[in-house]
Amino acid sequence: MIWNRTSLLGLEPLEVQEIETILELAKEFKLHLQKKELPSKNLKGKRIVNLFMEPSTRTRVAFEIAAKSLSADVISIASQSSSLTKGETLKDTAKNIQALGADAIVIRHSSAGSPLFLSKTIPVPIINAGDGAHEHPSQALLDIFTLREKLGTLSGKNIVILGDILFSRVARSNLWGLKKLGANVTFVGPSTLVPRDFEKLGANVSHNVNESLKKADAIMLLRIQHERQSTSHFPSLEEYTKVFGLNMDRAKLLKPNAIILHPGPINRGVEIDSSIADSKNSVILQQVTNGIAVRMAILYLCANIPIKP
Amino acid sequence: MNILHLKNGQVVDPSSETNEVKDLWVQGSKFVKEEEIKGQAPIEVLDLRDKLILPGFVDLRCHPRNVTRGSTENISSITKTAAQGGFTSILAMPDISPSIDNPGDARYARECADRDAVINFHLAGALTENLNGKKLSPIGSLKESGVVAITDCPKSTQNNEIFVKGVEYAAMFNLPVIDFPRELSLSKYGTAHDSSVALAMGLGGYPRMAEELFVQRSITVSRNLGVPLHLSSISSKGSVELIYEAKSKGINVTADTTPHHLFFTDARIKDYNTNFKTHPPLREQSDQEAIIKGLEEGTIDAICSAHEPHQLYLKQAEYDVAPAGVTSLETCFSAVYTRLSENSDDIAMKCAKWLSYNPAKILKIAGGDLEPGNQADFVVVNPQEGKIFTEHETLSLSTNNPFYEMPLKPVVEKTFVSGKVVYE
Repeated sequence: MIWNRTSLLGLEPLEVQEIETILELAKEFKLHLQKKELPSKNLKGKRIVNLFMEPSTRTRVAFEIAAKSLSADVISIASQSSSLTKGETLKDTAKNIQALGADAIVIRHSSAGSPLFLSKTIPVPIINAGDGAHEHPSQALLDIFTLREKLGTLSGKNIVILGDILFSRVARSNLWGLKKLGANVTFVGPSTLVPRDFEKLGANVSHNVNESLKKADAIMLLRIQHERQSTSHFPSLEEYTKVFGLNMDRAKLLKPNAIILHPGPINRGVEIDSSIADSKNSVILQQVTNGIAVRMAILYLCANIPIKP
Repeated sequence: MNILHLKNGQVVDPSSETNEVKDLWVQGSKFVKEEEIKGQAPIEVLDLRDKLILPGFVDLRCHPRNVTRGSTENISSITKTAAQGGFTSILAMPDISPSIDNPGDARYARECADRDAVINFHLAGALTENLNGKKLSPIGSLKESGVVAITDCPKSTQNNEIFVKGVEYAAMFNLPVIDFPRELSLSKYGTAHDSSVALAMGLGGYPRMAEELFVQRSITVSRNLGVPLHLSSISSKGSVELIYEAKSKGINVTADTTPHHLFFTDARIKDYNTNFKTHPPLREQSDQEAIIKGLEEGTIDAICSAHEPHQLYLKQAEYDVAPAGVTSLETCFSAVYTRLSENSDDIAMKCAKWLSYNPAKILKIAGGDLEPGNQADFVVVNPQEGKIFTEHETLSLSTNNPFYEMPLKPVVEKTFVSGKVVYE
């Protein structure tokens, strides 16, 4: 078992063996979860602070359940209730949380790089729960965990990620993780949301959905954040759905066993046809369940190490 | 009057293309010829054997933040920092508190500068009121109140009509106009140059296009109105190409770049270090090479410090929240020399051209040479001595300088303004 760090800031810096360590441990925790029993590897007496400075429901709740399933004490701070609204700097907030005796901080923040900034500021393990358009490692790890459950080894498998890639931390973390495990990753979407420069990071880039779907072993759809991009990145949601949405006709192009993932929340009828989201190929709800086991593994690996003063 | 004899120094002066060991004489505040002081004994002799004497540096862009007081920077601290870096004249951008968009505040700043500045402190007046690009500021009255140039830097007037009229109007008063080329609709949320580096980091939004479109605008405006325009802080290869073409057609545009764009690329921002969040952002190797070539060939005329002080707590923040801009007055010359001395002959002469002679010509102000009869603004440099700058010795009130902890060579040993030592 190889694990060389106290913080999980992203998948880009991880070694393959470290990813394997998390996934192995998650598998173990998933069995405990199914039996509803407290694992012997737990975080009893540890204090986990969820610092969520951007709206989030499922990630925050999943981290809370994961921490509680390890018997840790969890405190969740949402941006509305923190002192940030009063103009406190992130550095000061972090130092205060450290002073309150946190054993690990799970942070969600709209600014890329803020978990790294925290980890340099205070000697407390930092777990990135999504930072701007940078990384969302726990989401990618649960995606990879789910993909492996369904597809076995990912080496040589074709994974298509379709949607708003430019602003997506999920796409970036998946790219790093999947590439390390030997998969081929294709980013698909309008040219304004899938710039060619992603090729330099190791992804295939395509603007042709139909062609990409034919080869896919799995397709991951990303939420279209129309409140942000509809004015300048594509003409309208209707046009997006027409050109890039996963509808019944397009779903027929998929291999029969190809699986469909979505990190949620879903816009039914926009990036995915409602019935496809509920079809037998969809693993969207398994992703959510697996998310708890994966986050238990992350919390255990990061928070179980004594903090040096 | 006091006579100062500068003996045995290597005199580097682009105005007369001098680069030789020779003696200089200063009487009072001015350089004089030896025969003018014949028979009078010098009060002071400085033996400058193995030292360089360059015209004092003239900065085309810096931001003092406050006229007086304040904890980021003010006229007193910025002029001391400038003197530390060998600058004898600086041009303050109008985004001071209070902003230089009206004669009253211009006069107040002028008054404070006359009291607090240790070097020649020049003011740029705003092109538009509050620098917000909506209504022209009273440019004629600003000139009467002592401004020597007009600009909305660090902003750029987005409205083309107001920009064109402002340039035309300022030309009537023979005031140089400086544009900081940034088209805002393409770079509104820009935190970094759009490259694969920024893409991986989840940053970006300040593409080359945002600069190049407005470089082209200035070229077109200059050509059609027949008036000079200066482009500040050039960071992109495409801009250098546009300026090259414009100059070869005889269009009257000039341009500068910054020491950080010569020294660093966007690879430096990889760990979200906000001291490399510059304004405009650091770009790629190809941009840097084009800018250096542009300097060597004369497409880029000058190097400005782009000294933008920010308080530490503001820089110690999330990358997209932290303000852009770095300090560099004290390290500018040393950084430029260090960066370009390897591949460039006669680097001292070139520095004198880019940092002294050309900026003074662009601003139409005194300085930039070592000619008898002119103000004795000069620097003494020990070419053998290098240094690692740190935040502890800077005279600036801010420490957001990306050149700290790097070996730079050489450093300024002494700075003279009007024949008097202002830094040693």
